Amino acid sequence: MSDAPNVDLELDLKGLLCPMPMVKVSQSIKDVPVGGIIRAVATDAGAMADIPAWAKSTGHEVVSALKEGSEFVFLVKRVK
Amino acid sequence: MEKVTVDTMVGVLDKRMHRQLKQYLDICARCAICKDACHQYVGTGDFKYLPARRAELIRQVYKKYFTKTGQFVPALYEARDPDDNLLQELYESTYGCTGCRRCMYFCPFSIDTAWIAAVAKGMLIAAGHGNEMLGQLADAAIFKGDSPEMFHDVLVEGFKGIEAELRDETGDDTIEVPVDVKGAEMLYVGLAGSHTIKPAARIFHAAGQSWTLSLYEAANYGLFFGDGEKAKKIAKRFIDEAVELGVKEVVITECGHAYRVAKIFYESWAGEKLPFKVSHILDVIDRFMAEGRLELKPGAIAEPITYHDPCQVGRNGGLYEAPRRIVTAIAADFRDLTPNRAEQWCCGGGGGLVALTDMNDMRLKSGAKKVEQIRATGATVIASPCENCRLQMEDLVNEYDLDLKVMAVMDLVVEAMD
Repeated sequence: MSDAPNVDLELDLKGLLCPMPMVKVSQSIKDVPVGGIIRAVATDAGAMADIPAWAKSTGHEVVSALKEGSEFVFLVKRVK
Repeated sequence: MEKVTVDTMVGVLDKRMHRQLKQYLDICARCAICKDACHQYVGTGDFKYLPARRAELIRQVYKKYFTKTGQFVPALYEARDPDDNLLQELYESTYGCTGCRRCMYFCPFSIDTAWIAAVAKGMLIAAGHGNEMLGQLADAAIFKGDSPEMFHDVLVEGFKGIEAELRDETGDDTIEVPVDVKGAEMLYVGLAGSHTIKPAARIFHAAGQSWTLSLYEAANYGLFFGDGEKAKKIAKRFIDEAVELGVKEVVITECGHAYRVAKIFYESWAGEKLPFKVSHILDVIDRFMAEGRLELKPGAIAEPITYHDPCQVGRNGGLYEAPRRIVTAIAADFRDLTPNRAEQWCCGGGGGLVALTDMNDMRLKSGAKKVEQIRATGATVIASPCENCRLQMEDLVNEYDLDLKVMAVMDLVVEAMD
């Protein structure tokens, strides 16, 4: 049985430049229930700092942030 | 609206009141020259985007609380208390303003509507009606500055990844993306991601320039949000870094508002003289060319090309000629926009609007003048040293079906180096 969390929403942020990956995640967080997970895939390296910083400052949680080849994959949990 | 909210908004206006603002609020002659100067009003025909109307909302509150006539006969002098209707219109008109200051340029009294809009944003924030997205972007940037230990390694790893890509792309194993270099001559402040770092690294390398890359991005959403303290904190991240590293010059990437913050605003915000020079990257490239440190192929850009002055770099930053010297040096067919320089039309993407999706419709309509200007040149490439302008013009390409490639000037320079 997999430990991977269920994803409530997939966001394709490939090709978007800063700050749009953070903006799209912020706008979409309201579309998942509290406790829900967004999986976001970006190609802008700046997202590796921006999305965790956004999550910390807004009270949400980045469950994981991984570099997979040229892509950056985030699992973001809505906390409130 | 509750009295405490009214008092709070009026208190902010009082705190920001000084002779210059008072003059702006006292002298509007309602000539409406600004209506023909504002790209948003011209593009939408919507009264709330008329510059004089944006200012008028604050002027009405000013009359009520700061003039005797407005206090005693408010109906006669169009004085009013802040209310929910005013708050809503104020929100749309001020967060909708790109702060291009073209209206100020044409106003016979030089009324700075963007300044009044900045005061209005302060009042909205105090009333709990600041723009949520811009506030979040500002807070995230401040969080990064407050927690360097959390982000340092991930950022440096990302920069080293960019360096590796650059070496692969150029076949040059000596090219570097240096970080944290004490004693470097220049601190280059880019934007998040590689697109502003790679071309700058190649240009610095070719010119033999000693430099180091800032850990922080130049963009400043505190300014767009309308909170001076947040804006100062965001800029302070790379200002402190520059002091710590002991650089002689801070070089801001192709970003309009970031250049204006660092070059024009920061010293007065901080109340101190910066111990280094602040330059725009295009000023530095122009200098490299003049010193013979950067060889560029004349006519390397064959397609007809034009140049858009970003409002914060041009009209509000005073940088007109260096970018044109660079572009004309490498273009076979340069065609300037008309009007240009101080009279340049705003593209419609500034003020943080490209991040505000609820204003997309207005933003795209407000680009109509820019589209008209570009079409008149027949150019198929447009260069502009501002990220917001480029994002907006890429959207205009799709919206208005333009045959146009939108480029950063640095990318063109790199093409002319090859």
